[in-house]
Amino acid sequence: MNKLLFLVLGTGALAGSLAGGTARAQTPAVNPMPDGSRDMYVGLGAQSAPRYEGSGSRKVSALPVLQVEWSNGIFISGMSAGMHLSGSPTVEYGPLLAVQPGRDESGTSVEVGGVGMNGLIGPAAGEKAMFMTGRLGGMDEIGTRLQFGGFYNVYLDPQWRLSSSLLVGAGRDRDGARLELNVQRLALAAGSHHRVSLTAGVGLVNRQYNETYFGVTAAEAMRSRFGPWQPGGGLQDVHASVRWNWVLSPSWMLTSNLQAKRLLGDASHSPLTQRPTNLTVSTAFAYRF
Amino acid sequence: MCPVRQLIASLALLLAAGSAGAQAQDAVSYRDAYRAMVVFDKYGGPKNLLVNQLQVLPRERGALADGLLLSLTGRSTQLNLPLDPLGRTVFPLQKAAYDENASLSLSRKGIAFTLRPQVSIAPRADGVYDVAELRSACAQALDFARYVDASQRSRQCAGVRFVFGKKAEAGARLRRPDGTEQVLPVANAEAEDGFPAVSWRFGGAERGQVATYNAPLAILPIFE
Repeated sequence: MNKLLFLVLGTGALAGSLAGGTARAQTPAVNPMPDGSRDMYVGLGAQSAPRYEGSGSRKVSALPVLQVEWSNGIFISGMSAGMHLSGSPTVEYGPLLAVQPGRDESGTSVEVGGVGMNGLIGPAAGEKAMFMTGRLGGMDEIGTRLQFGGFYNVYLDPQWRLSSSLLVGAGRDRDGARLELNVQRLALAAGSHHRVSLTAGVGLVNRQYNETYFGVTAAEAMRSRFGPWQPGGGLQDVHASVRWNWVLSPSWMLTSNLQAKRLLGDASHSPLTQRPTNLTVSTAFAYRF
Repeated sequence: MCPVRQLIASLALLLAAGSAGAQAQDAVSYRDAYRAMVVFDKYGGPKNLLVNQLQVLPRERGALADGLLLSLTGRSTQLNLPLDPLGRTVFPLQKAAYDENASLSLSRKGIAFTLRPQVSIAPRADGVYDVAELRSACAQALDFARYVDASQRSRQCAGVRFVFGKKAEAGARLRRPDGTEQVLPVANAEAEDGFPAVSWRFGGAERGQVATYNAPLAILPIFE
């Protein structure tokens, strides 16, 4: 089943947007522009990522790129959308919507409807045979979820930003919540062809969130080879990423991201977690409309 | 494919894609410059004593030759913006250029450069500046700096720097209320790419005027 992923750009001149995970809520920096104008990036690339959080196997997939900002403050950034409400250059806040991809027995995410799909680079033959047996065989399928919440970012100076986002609505019963706290070193210098941004942070989740993505219910334990596991909430992960944007021209950009993430607490001890530390690498060409 | 091979393949893709773009020209997005420049335009605080200009910073020192222009090029937009010796120009805020994703490039090819907004104190035609007005102008500039950069909140106005184009043109004197005058020393200001400058630091309760012998290229606030 195809999986739709989006890459989030770091595009700011005075302040770039962040880029953590590909599927998490992202808030690009405020982009002042003329009334009625917009700034849009569309592109395509590839990503190598774990099949699911905690998975020991990886897959390479096509990676659509989408980031749009309108003069009224509304933005779409990867699989999230929101609105900038602050009038201050040093503070950003507003509502946020985000799509949390689902997970099926093979670990791949459930298709996100309503958005154009792209073909995938499938797993190699040997790897596919392994997945036919179902790494998550017997586990309930988790549907795609629309999460809602908000974001609040503070600039310590034009280069350093503390960012936070809170989203609820993930999980089996749509009652999972995730709080993400990051510190970011943003790229500057309009005119520089190369912009590098660094991000480091933590993710905190409630019990319902962890139960959905890292827990094993009694029924699942009966059907699968996993023992029952009831994780609690709390600190779920610590992550760090580096984004490199190569501005080839005012219209074209090569954007690449490397993220390391380590699961913590009950998520790392889950029987579903084969590898608590994982890397995600992606690169894509994007055109600025 | 094993994970390591997949990772290597991804990195190879990244490098290959990067090599493909190595022929990129030195042009800057108008949108990036716009978003940096429009902040001053939208700023609601006092700014009547200030000017906001776009400054070209070439990577090579001394690359700003006479007659160099900054060209704004879009589908329906073509403007040549003259640069002063400091590389500054008045930036046009144009919706058409923004929507067309216009580019900014230098009239002479092969010069790598970056852009930045520069807020300075507006020069006066008569070259005479009340000390009180210079203090107010510096305060306005500091308020704007604090507006865009929270880390500036601990800084204070310390003075102003008059930057001149040539050593022969550089010079200013302080006129005190009692009629006495003091010639202010000229120094080569490294921060201004070697242009001669006269720095005048605010005293305690000093009143009077600062008069320049010739029109300065720029009057920059000093924050400490």
